[in-house]
Amino acid sequence: MTEQERLELFMERIRRGEKIEATDWMPDEYRQLLIKLIHMHAVSEIMGAYPEKEWVPKAPSLRRKLAIMAKVQDEMGHGQLLLRVVEDLAKPLGKNREDLIEDIYHHRVKFHNVFHMEARTWADAGVIGWLVDGAAIINQASLLSTSYGPYARVLKRICAEESFHMQHGENIILALAMGTPEQKRMLQESLDYWWESLLFFFGPPEVTPAAERMLYYRIRTLTNEELRQKFLDKYVPRILSIGLTIPDPQLHYDKELKRWIYTMPDWEKFGEIVKKNNGPKSRERIELRRQAHEGGRWVREAMLTKTAV
Amino acid sequence: MMSADGKVEYGVYEVFVQKSHADHHVHVGSLMAPSPDLAMQLARENFLRRDSAVNLWIVPREYIYTTPYSSDFFAREMDRKYREVGGYTENGRLWRLFKEKTLTMEEIVSHIEET
Ligand SMILES: [Fe+2]
Ligand SMILES: [Fe+2]
Repeated sequence: MTEQERLELFMERIRRGEKIEATDWMPDEYRQLLIKLIHMHAVSEIMGAYPEKEWVPKAPSLRRKLAIMAKVQDEMGHGQLLLRVVEDLAKPLGKNREDLIEDIYHHRVKFHNVFHMEARTWADAGVIGWLVDGAAIINQASLLSTSYGPYARVLKRICAEESFHMQHGENIILALAMGTPEQKRMLQESLDYWWESLLFFFGPPEVTPAAERMLYYRIRTLTNEELRQKFLDKYVPRILSIGLTIPDPQLHYDKELKRWIYTMPDWEKFGEIVKKNNGPKSRERIELRRQAHEGGRWVREAMLTKTAV
Repeated sequence: MMSADGKVEYGVYEVFVQKSHADHHVHVGSLMAPSPDLAMQLARENFLRRDSAVNLWIVPREYIYTTPYSSDFFAREMDRKYREVGGYTENGRLWRLFKEKTLTMEEIVSHIEET
């Protein structure tokens, strides 16, 4: 079979909606796109645990502390599941777990803009749990239909756990929305701080060449803009219902165009943060990740040595 | 394999079936076979006479490490409701006060599928 015929057969499988498995032949471009996407996803789960972990010692009650700690554990767990998927894909290229983690502090892999931002108050922790997770859930739910089987199966498990994250976030927000005037003010300030980051999260509205290739291979099935619109559909009414003001006077639903009109976030500013890791918390959190990884090296090595017991 | 008293002895294989690409492999039982190849054939005959599947794993039992049944390995030191969706049923009631309702994964998935 020629390379061209192989590729043709592969694309026929994709178009029929079949799932590709790790042991199947796949074009190099497909493998590279998957590695890039899932590696970034995995690293975002891990770096995404940091803003909330910072609130574990400061959570306002024992129950809140246990709940947010449970969430942080889940996010680290999601990172583990996703890294396993990348490891199998990257094995033929000679990359392993060590490389995938080191890529974080060598600035060779990006993670989502929201996880570069500061969790300044308990309301920020709540907004992260509710809306940052909310945005991530829209994205992950859309990936359930990805053409890559191992990714789809892992996402199924992740989404099941995200159901708890949704309730956890709502619960913190509802408590603040029903709280004292000061708590309500804190919640509003938090929404003001996070709104632009949330819009940026889904990426630019234009379909980039890489995104176009992901759609072609059905790695993704929806565009950035479609996902952002779905997020706004579900969350804007709820945000407004609890008496919050969305910090965008332009924001409205255009009934004729059947879409939300909104003010563009500062693409350049957040783009820089993600590319250069120079957001308010990027360096500090990446440094913690480096310390954890390097500091744990002797343990990983010691585990491999057989000892006489 | 031949045992000391001359009887033929086969190895035990545990069988895992993957029903569709959306599912993980699930343990369905075990069988005895003289080789992995035959274990695979037999697994199909024993477990997939009606059900369809996309993949099958057979694993020699000696490669499976297991917990004991009675141990405190799975002990729960305390109530873990805070970790579950069921621990947040009050959200529904609270949203009603704002004339809204709690968001569920099912609602999101069906909204994603809508075009
Ligand atoms: Fe997650
Ligand atoms: Fe989450």
